Order: sequence, then C-alpha cells, then structure tokens
Amino acid sequence: MENPATSPKKSSKGGWISFLKGLLPTENGSAFVPPFSLIGWIFLLAGFFGAFTFGWVVYPVALYSRQPQPISFNHALHLDPDVGGIEGDTETEKCLYCHEFRDDGTFSGIPKLAKCTECHDDPESPLGETQQEKEFMEKYVAGQKEIPWLIYYRQPDCVYFSHIAHVKMGKIECQTCHGDHSKTEKLPIYRANLLTGYSINIWGKNIAGYKTNTWDRMKMDDCAECHTKKGHEENNACFVCHK
Amino acid sequence: MEKGHGHGNSYGMVIDLDKCTGCGTCMVACAAENNLAVRPDESDKQRSITWMRLYKVTNGKEFPHTEVCYFPRPCMQCDHHTPCVSVCPATATKMDYHTGIVSQIYTRCIGCRYCIAACPYHARTFNWWDAYFPKGKGLERYLSPEVSPRMRGVVEKCTFCHHRLMRAKNNAYAEERRELEEGEYITACTEACPAQAITFGDLKNPEHKVSELVKSRYAFRLLEKLGTEPKVYYLSTKDWVRRMADNYLPGEFKPIAKVKLG
Amino acid sequence: MELNRRNFIKFLVGGAAGIQLTPLPWKLTDDIAIWTQNWPWVPVPPVGEFIHEKSICTLCPGGCGIEVRKVDDRAVKIEGRTDYPVNPGGICPVGMGGLQLQYNESIRFTRPMKRVGPRGSGVFIDISWDEALTMLAGRISGLREKAMPEALAAVDGNPARSTLSLMIERLVKAVGSPNYVRIPCAEDTYEMANFLMQGTLGPMAYDLENADYVLSFGSGLLEGWGAPGRVINAWGLWHENPAKKRVKIVQVESRASSTASKADRWIAAKPGTEAALALGLCHVIIKDGLYDSEFVNECSFGFDDFSSAGGKDRAGFKTMVLKKYSPAKVAEITGVASDDIVSLARDFAGAKAPVAICGKGKGSLSGSLYEFMAVNSLNAITGRINKPGGILVHEPIPLSSLPEIDFDDIASQGLEKPRFDAAGSTKYPFSNSLINNLAAAINRSPESPVDTLLVFAANPVHTLPDGGAFRKALKKIPFIVSFSPFRDETAYMADLILPDHTYLEKTDDIVWPAGLQYPLFGLSLPVLEPVYNTRNAADVILKLAKQIGNSVESAFPWKRFEEVLKERAKGLYSSGAGLVDYDGTNPVWKRLKEGTGPGPDYASFEEMWKKIVSGGLWYRLEHTYKNWDNLFETPSGKFEFFSSKIELAVNAYAEQAGIDWALRDMGLAGKGDDVFMPHYEETASDADRSTFPLMMLPFEIINLTSTWVPNPPFLNKALFDTQLRGDESFVEINPETAAKYNVGQGDRIIIKSPEGEVRVRANLFEGAMPGVLFMPLGFGHSAYDEFSKGKGVNPNDIIHAGKDPLSGYPVWWNTPVKIIKV
Repeated sequence: MENPATSPKKSSKGGWISFLKGLLPTENGSAFVPPFSLIGWIFLLAGFFGAFTFGWVVYPVALYSRQPQPISFNHALHLDPDVGGIEGDTETEKCLYCHEFRDDGTFSGIPKLAKCTECHDDPESPLGETQQEKEFMEKYVAGQKEIPWLIYYRQPDCVYFSHIAHVKMGKIECQTCHGDHSKTEKLPIYRANLLTGYSINIWGKNIAGYKTNTWDRMKMDDCAECHTKKGHEENNACFVCHK
Repeated sequence: MEKGHGHGNSYGMVIDLDKCTGCGTCMVACAAENNLAVRPDESDKQRSITWMRLYKVTNGKEFPHTEVCYFPRPCMQCDHHTPCVSVCPATATKMDYHTGIVSQIYTRCIGCRYCIAACPYHARTFNWWDAYFPKGKGLERYLSPEVSPRMRGVVEKCTFCHHRLMRAKNNAYAEERRELEEGEYITACTEACPAQAITFGDLKNPEHKVSELVKSRYAFRLLEKLGTEPKVYYLSTKDWVRRMADNYLPGEFKPIAKVKLG
Repeated sequence: MELNRRNFIKFLVGGAAGIQLTPLPWKLTDDIAIWTQNWPWVPVPPVGEFIHEKSICTLCPGGCGIEVRKVDDRAVKIEGRTDYPVNPGGICPVGMGGLQLQYNESIRFTRPMKRVGPRGSGVFIDISWDEALTMLAGRISGLREKAMPEALAAVDGNPARSTLSLMIERLVKAVGSPNYVRIPCAEDTYEMANFLMQGTLGPMAYDLENADYVLSFGSGLLEGWGAPGRVINAWGLWHENPAKKRVKIVQVESRASSTASKADRWIAAKPGTEAALALGLCHVIIKDGLYDSEFVNECSFGFDDFSSAGGKDRAGFKTMVLKKYSPAKVAEITGVASDDIVSLARDFAGAKAPVAICGKGKGSLSGSLYEFMAVNSLNAITGRINKPGGILVHEPIPLSSLPEIDFDDIASQGLEKPRFDAAGSTKYPFSNSLINNLAAAINRSPESPVDTLLVFAANPVHTLPDGGAFRKALKKIPFIVSFSPFRDETAYMADLILPDHTYLEKTDDIVWPAGLQYPLFGLSLPVLEPVYNTRNAADVILKLAKQIGNSVESAFPWKRFEEVLKERAKGLYSSGAGLVDYDGTNPVWKRLKEGTGPGPDYASFEEMWKKIVSGGLWYRLEHTYKNWDNLFETPSGKFEFFSSKIELAVNAYAEQAGIDWALRDMGLAGKGDDVFMPHYEETASDADRSTFPLMMLPFEIINLTSTWVPNPPFLNKALFDTQLRGDESFVEINPETAAKYNVGQGDRIIIKSPEGEVRVRANLFEGAMPGVLFMPLGFGHSAYDEFSKGKGVNPNDIIHAGKDPLSGYPVWWNTPVKIIKV
C-alpha cells in the first residue's frame, strides 16, 4: 500500500495550504476573490478595536473599586510649622512622629486614634472648623472609636516586611519608597483590585506594568530588584519576605 | 564535612532525649505559635498536621523491663542535598544558606507532594482541607499575625519559627544592632520545653551552647547515613535509643561503654 | 450590514485578537492566580501592637507563671514566665493551649441562662444577670424561710486554700448549711496524713530540687503532678550533665508511664500495695540499723513498744514492721522481688538527701491514707522530716482569715445539723468532705436531702471515680446551679447557669502551689477583657449575699473580690517576712537551703500590695530546718508513728457498739494496734473475683486533661494513635494477658465491671502489668464540642468505687473487670 504521508498528491487535495493560498491574490487578478467581504472586515475590526479599547481603557477602571477614606487628612497641614505642626530634623524624623516604630522594632503603620488624641484630645487643641474635623472630634475622639482607615500599602498576609530594617538599618528615607507626602493635602481615593483585594498601590498603578516611581508598585519583583541593585542578594531568600 | 555553604549563620537544634519527658508541650507550643489548624479528628496521623511531632519508641523488653523514649521531631533543616528542595518543581521550598533554614512558601506551593515523598523524616504534611475555623466558634481569634495561615492544597512544615528570627532582628535593629545574642532567637518549642531538653542556636558560632553539645559523645542525628546533614541533633546516653536512629548492619553499631556514675 | 452568523464569528475573532494586545489576559491570569492564594474563608489574623501581660495559670493548683502575648486586645499565645519562681520558663501543654479554652464559643457559656428543656438536654434560654440572681437569691431565701438552710449544698473544685474557695464555703455557712463539699484530691490525703503524724496544718512540701534520691510511690512526676512547670524543670535539672548525674529517681508504679520508664529505676508493684512496699523498705532499714536514731529516739512517738496510760503494753511501729513486713512477705503482696526491696531500701537509706513522695498520677484524685502515712514513715525513720531535700514542715501561709460570721438564728440552727456526707462525724473523723458519701446519701433517700446545689469549678459527673453515682444523684436534686464557664457535663444537668470568667479574664489566687516546698501566694489578674457576658464567681457571691440579706449580707461586707484579696494579704504584711520581687536569676530552691532569707523587700503594706499586683507573687525564704523539738503539734508533741488521734477517734466511735464493730464500720480490716499506725490492708471488694478476674486501673497523662477543665484541641495532636483512633480510645494491656484472651493489637473489646461496661480497643503494651487493664482518664465526654465530644470512653463510668479505710475517700485503684472480645 502507498504511504499516505509520502504521497505526492497530498498538497493538491485542499487542506490548510490550499486555503491559505486562496487568501493570496493570484497572478490572474480577475480571478481574485477576497475571502472576506468589506462588511466582514468591518465586523472583524470592530471586534478587534472594541476589545482593544476594552482592555486598555475600560478594564483598568472596572478592575478596581473606588473607596474614599472615612475622613479626610491633610499631611501638609500637619507638617506646617506656621500652625504648630510636627517638627523634625529630617523628613523621615517627621514621618516617624506619627508613623512610629514601637519599642520592639515593629512598625505602627497608620497611627491609631491614641496618636491623634495626643494633640487633639480636647476642644482647646488646635483644630479647624470644617465639617470633617467636627466629625472627627464627635464620632471618633468622643466616641473612642478607631478610624477605619483604608491602607494603601498593606501587603497581603503571606508577606513579611520590616520597616525598621529598611529605614533604620538600610538608611532609606520614607519618601524613597512612598513618595513625598509632606505636601499632600488630600488623601487619594483607595482603590482595591476586585479580584485579589490588593490595593492598587501594591499591585501596580499602570495596567501595563510600567512604573515610573517606586511607589507605583510594590510587588515581589520590585523588592528583589532593589535588593539586587543594592548588593543584598541574600535578602532575596524566600523567608526574608514571606511568612 | 562541609556545612552551611555560605556565610552567615547555621541555626540548629539539640534535643536531649534523657531530659525529654514526652509531655508534648513542644507540639502544643509549636501549633499555637504557628497557627496550625486542628481538625475534629486528629487521630489519623497521616492527615494530622504537625510541624513538631512526638514519636514514642520502646526498647521492646518484657514487663517490667520496658523502657519508653520519646523523639520530638521538627524539620531537620537538612544542610546537604536537602531532599525536599531538590525535588520541588515550583521552587516553593529553598534552603537559605545564610540561616541554614529551609523555607516553605505556601502561596507558591502547587500541592504536588513530591517533597513529602522525598523527605526521609516525615517532617512535611499536606493540607487536605482548609483550616478548620467554623463560623460562630471564634477559634480564629487566637491566630497570630506573625505566621500566615495556610489554605488547602499546600504543604507545610516546621520553619524553625523563622518569624521569631525576624522578630529578634527587629528587636536588635531597634537597638541599632545587627548581631543577635545567643538566646535572642529561639524557636517556640525550645522556649516552651519545661524540661529544657531543647537547645537552639547557631551551629557555626563556637560560643553558642549548641556547637558544644553536638560534639558530645552522646550526640547523634536521625538517618545520618543518608548524608543529608540534618541540623537537628539528639543526645541520649542510652544505646538502645541511639541505635534506633539509623539502620545498622549487624555489629556495625558501637555502643558507648557505660560511664561509672559518681 | 447584517449581523449574521459569519459576521458574528468575525467579530469574535477580531475581539479575540484585539484582547491579546491589551494587558487584560495577562493581568487576569495573574489576578486569578493571586485570588487562589487568598481564599476569603482562610482567616487573616489582624496585625497590631504586641503586648505582653504577666499572670499566673490557675487551670490546676500548680499556679505556674504565664505571660500572654497579645495583639492589641486579642491574646495569641501563652508562654511560661522566667521571672516566676514556681516554673522557670516552662509550662505544661494544657496551659500552653489555654487560648483554645478562651476563644471557643461552642464550649463556653456566653451569658446567664436557665434550663428550658429536659434535664441533661442542654437546652437553655438566655436571661439577664439580675433575673438570674433574683431567682437564686429567692430560692436560697426560701430555704431559709422554711428553716431548712442545710438543703443548700455546694460542690467546689477550686484549688485548695484559694480565696474563692473560702468565699464559697463562707456563703454556704452564712446561709446556714454545713454542706460545703470539695472535689477530693491528693492534697486532702496529704493534709490528713500530716495532721495525724505531725499535727501540722501546712501543706505537703517536698524539697525535690535539693534531694539526691527521689522515691516516688506512683506520683506522676512527668504526668502533671504538682506544678508541672516546676517538676518537669526539676527533671531537666536532674539530667543536666549525664557524666556527673547525682540524682537518682525511682518510680513505683504498675505501668511503664513516662515517669516509670524514664526513671533510673522502675519498681513494678501491684496497684494498691504501695503501703506494703514502703513498710517493707522500713523493715530493711530498721533491721539493718540504717535509720536516723536521733529522730526516732528523741523526736518520735510509737516507734518502740511502750506502755499506755493504763499500763497496757503496746506494740510500736518497729515491732509491727519487723514482724509483718519482711521482704519475703512484702514481695508476696507487691509482686516486687525481695532482693529489689532490700537493695532499694539500702539505696534509699544510703543516699545523702533522699525523699519518698506519694500521691498518684497528677494528684487530682484522692489517695490512700495509710499508704501516705507509710511513705511518711519511710521519710521519718531516715530523718528526712524538715531537712533540706526532704519534706519541709510549714505553718499555713499567713494570709488573714476572713472576719467571723455573725450567724442569725436560722443559720445557727442549720449549722447544727449533721452533714449529709457525714464528713467529720465520729465515723469519718478526719475528713472535711466526702463527695462520694453525698452522692450515696442522695441516691439512698427517696427524696434528695439537697434542694439546691451550687457547683463551682467542678465537673463531678465526668471526673469522679464513682461509676456514675454522682450523675445519678444529680437527677434527684431539684435545683442545680452551675458557675462553670464551660458547657461541661455537670452544667448540662443544671437549671441555672451563672457563667464565671475564664482564668485569663478573672482575678483569682493560688495559695501555695501544689507540692511547692516554700510558702507562695500567687495572684492571677485578668489579662483580657471578658469576651462574653460573664462574671467572676466571687463577685456573683458578693451580689447574691446582698440579695439574700440578713446575716448572709453582713458576712460579705465587700463590694468587689479584689477587696477581699487585699484584706487577706494584710496577714502577709503583718507576718513581717516575705519577698515580692523575683527576677529569675537565682532560683528560690537554691537560696532556700540557707534557711535565712533576706528581710521583706517592701516598706509598707501598700507597696507590698502594689508589687504583688504587678509581679503576681509573695513568697518566703526563711525557714527553720530540723527544729524537731518544736515542730510537731501532735498530742505527744512528737512525730507519731503511732497516731494518738486515730486511737482517740476509733475509741470514741467504739463507744457506740464496741471496737470490732467500730473498726468494721470504719472500713478497717486491720486489727489491734496496727490500726493506729501505717499499715497495709488489702482493699476490700465485694466483687466476685472469679467473674471479674482482671483489674482495671485508670491513669492520667499530661497531654489530656482529666479535671473539670476541657481539653484544648491542640492536645489532640499530641495523643498517639494507640491512645485514640477516630472516636475509639484504647486500653493498655500486656501482650501476655491479651494472648490469654485471644486479643490482638487494635482489637475491639468490652470491659465489664460490676458497675457497667465500656467498649474500647486494645493496645498491646509490654509496659503494662499482666492482669491489669490501664485506661486513660479524660476521654469519653458527652459535653463540649466536636474536639472532645464522643471521643473514647471514660473509665470513671465503670469504676467500682470502694472506700479508703478510715479516710472514707473513694478508692479508684481497685476495679475488678473482665474482658469480652467483640
């Protein structure tokens, strides 16, 4: 019997090759029959650009929630020397006034209400007269209720991060990673990935994965990149950042 | 013998089996420290999740000459050809040459259980179910934030309480120190043992008690012949106990002559 | 432009191609991967500030120091304290797993409740504290109005000597009832033995750390005896340096427990024959002249023969022991080879600082009085009383006693009535309370003499070795109030639940940790805010007293329990001694040997109290060693081998119907002067040994609670699968015995005693004495949650409880059984 695989007749019997050949214009122009009609092309391109726009424009917006913080906070005002704001020799020192290290070396992160009431404990204390400030005093200070801040830079549960190792031992300024907040007057909208629950500040502000600033994204590769750049490859061991 | 390929520390443990009373406090301390899940039925030991497990052995002699000995078994943190590391297809487990500790990253683990098969010490267990924290019971309130609770489908094992190393480092950093003192970083089982049978420290540091203890004539390791260089050592003055630690050909095991007691 | 099938497909193809050029598919893949790492049902423990709070553990009378690690207001770990003298850093597995008792809603009562369903169904409805207290106060007032205040009874399992116990006893008394009943434990038998032989009231204090030879008569040194954190630490110290080991541990036990098999020497005596062995050792020591002649000749009574007041010749301890406890004879009784008895006696007497200890298992079950006296005699003839490394004799801790109660008429009349359990009567002259008798009295009478029963820190339905007698009795009691924080078997039988805080939420004290060799007052302060609507039982008593009114109200002039504790502590201050600071660098037992401690480290009462509150302890180092001339407060003023008090008591009882009757009725098989001295009696049993040829002995293990405290689920991990498999627990049986009944490893068998039967599996264990079946205590709960409910069987259910001669406590080491293969 003839081996079909080696049969010379095979290529002339239709299949993919002849189909592709059909798509190409033949020498005889009049014999050209376009595979798609114009309308067909329109549908094809409509699908293409529709999906393209969805992927680049709609998806990045739809992927994230938008939650305002429970109450507004003005970093700039708190650091303003004119209103008796927080003072310090360095920028980091100023940050650490509220975002402090505890005695055991752990980092307090977003301050608890007790930190706020160190200054804002009674009606005499420095405070403006906006509706938000009134709410702060009435709802939280008087009610002794913690403010449910939404945390932009909270890593997922599997991650361990030591601020003190970076700030105190590594001598890295807060703003190197978090940007300069001394001038921000408003807290940005908190946006969390609807699938993973990760904050956009951790997961990456740019949908395509480009980052211009350190604080645009804080994923594992970003940590490793910096460790490597600074010559601390040993800190890329799994357990240094995972728990 | 080459140890701990790189610079840094090589944390190890010495467990004195003469002191060990088999009370199980190490197991409970480990479970509480590391957020181990408890299922209603823990009696199926192939399914029960433990990082530190107590084994009971007897000398097999007749009444009343029977003797019992308990072997507490954490992860051996094998230093050489770490069997689990070499088989993991997902790089979910690695040995850190700077601490000597074998890590296990749950979010990376694909649950193939190849490492369980490879580990000669049965030190690894698989999460066949999600951790048991039924609604309304409130058990999850005792969970520690220092260790991430595991999901079903991943393997877990003793980490030498790595988070305690991080905790100790944070403490040291707060005092602007980099070097840890002996005893600043110890595992939960070491701390908990009421008989002080467990000693923990840096095997590379000659000032640490462990590096002295491993030189004892009574020191041995489990399945030493495999050449995995475990960093967990045991001490026992009893020949029958030491003989249990490995497979010996007839006449191969050398008993230690009894020391005359004062 | 028609959207037909072909065009739609083109649209989709275009879309599919277009989407590839956006980040969507790649990002989505990544997101999904991460989504699988963060299942919403896997708990994420909240982060926060670490706070370390110090306190003491009151789950057992050991009172070890604990440090609780908290994250903000949530406790996440319990650890041992290194700055507490009882336990230098270590605690037992139960204490380690304590948070699972704190944070487990299905084993705790969250608010006061009253029963609506049938008894024992566990169906309750919520009520308010006011409603609950009014209900109970009304009930008690009602009893007083009917002039039957004695129908109120309380069962108390709080540690002996604790202030809460005093409060409970005071409440019952102030109401007018003599029926305050305690859960019996080894501590009671110690007190009785000390009282009879030394005349002292202080607790048993073994100076273990300074001993060089510890002969333990079944004490589970490694099973949770005493303060486990202390005893196991001592074990570590004893084995510190194998080349220079100087301490020898000998365990007398019928099973290769952890203690027995890790000891230097294991003496396998038949259960219940320990007294004979101790006296056999005395025999060898006396015969060889190895005894302490100074102690025996100068400071003891009844060692040699003597003539009593009427000129009657009396046989002394020496004569009795030499005559009746020769090694050959003791070998026959105990099953221990006579050579072993001789060598053991010589080793013991030859050691520098030997001590013999007693109290079986964890010490949470009562002991045998004559056995304890026999062991005490062994210490006495070797001169080990009140010497470093021996048994230290102390006065009770100098806490102030509470003011006298000014009883009203109803109360005084009620207190005149006899106790239902007959404890302290002429028949049971030395016992303070006998819960087994209470159960029997209730079961005997057509109507329960107890109308209202208060249960504190106790689960007698499960823990009493009585073959279910107490459970039966409870069914007859009209009104039961449980103060348990836990949904235990006894609380299920209750009509009213007034839940106490857990030990981490409440103020409490441990007055002299069990077995400790120096006086220590441990204060436990709340480390957590109460998570549920519960109240400290002591504060509930204060409120209740107020509502009952009259002399009950005036007996409790305090607003809060803390005031009571502070008032009692005044006695510590006025004792003019004691320390409140301890940093852990120099263990107390090392400093103790000197005998002279530093003076008080506080200047005023307020300073002392403040330090007790922050450090959790007061302790005293000064001790006058030896002091044999002034030590004993017996009628003879000496250590009594021959107890004058027993003689007086027996003679008093004999006045009713003669000595033979009296002895028989007091459960004594011994005859003549033997009865007044430590001696061995075979435990009486009414069971037919041909039907029940085997014996069943329950045993305790350290990683399973057998008291009223539920078992933390973590401990289930530490159980071997030869102890519990699925829902079936195992009985340990010698392979030889098993072969006789054709039982193999893992086989299911029924163990039958005169009281009932249980179904278990067999675990063949060479370390089990042939002919004896060993069952662990702590399994077989019908209450609590899926972690313990229905797991295994409770040996207490089939215990054929006899009575210990003279003391009247339940005998749990002598249950005749047979096995039936399933």
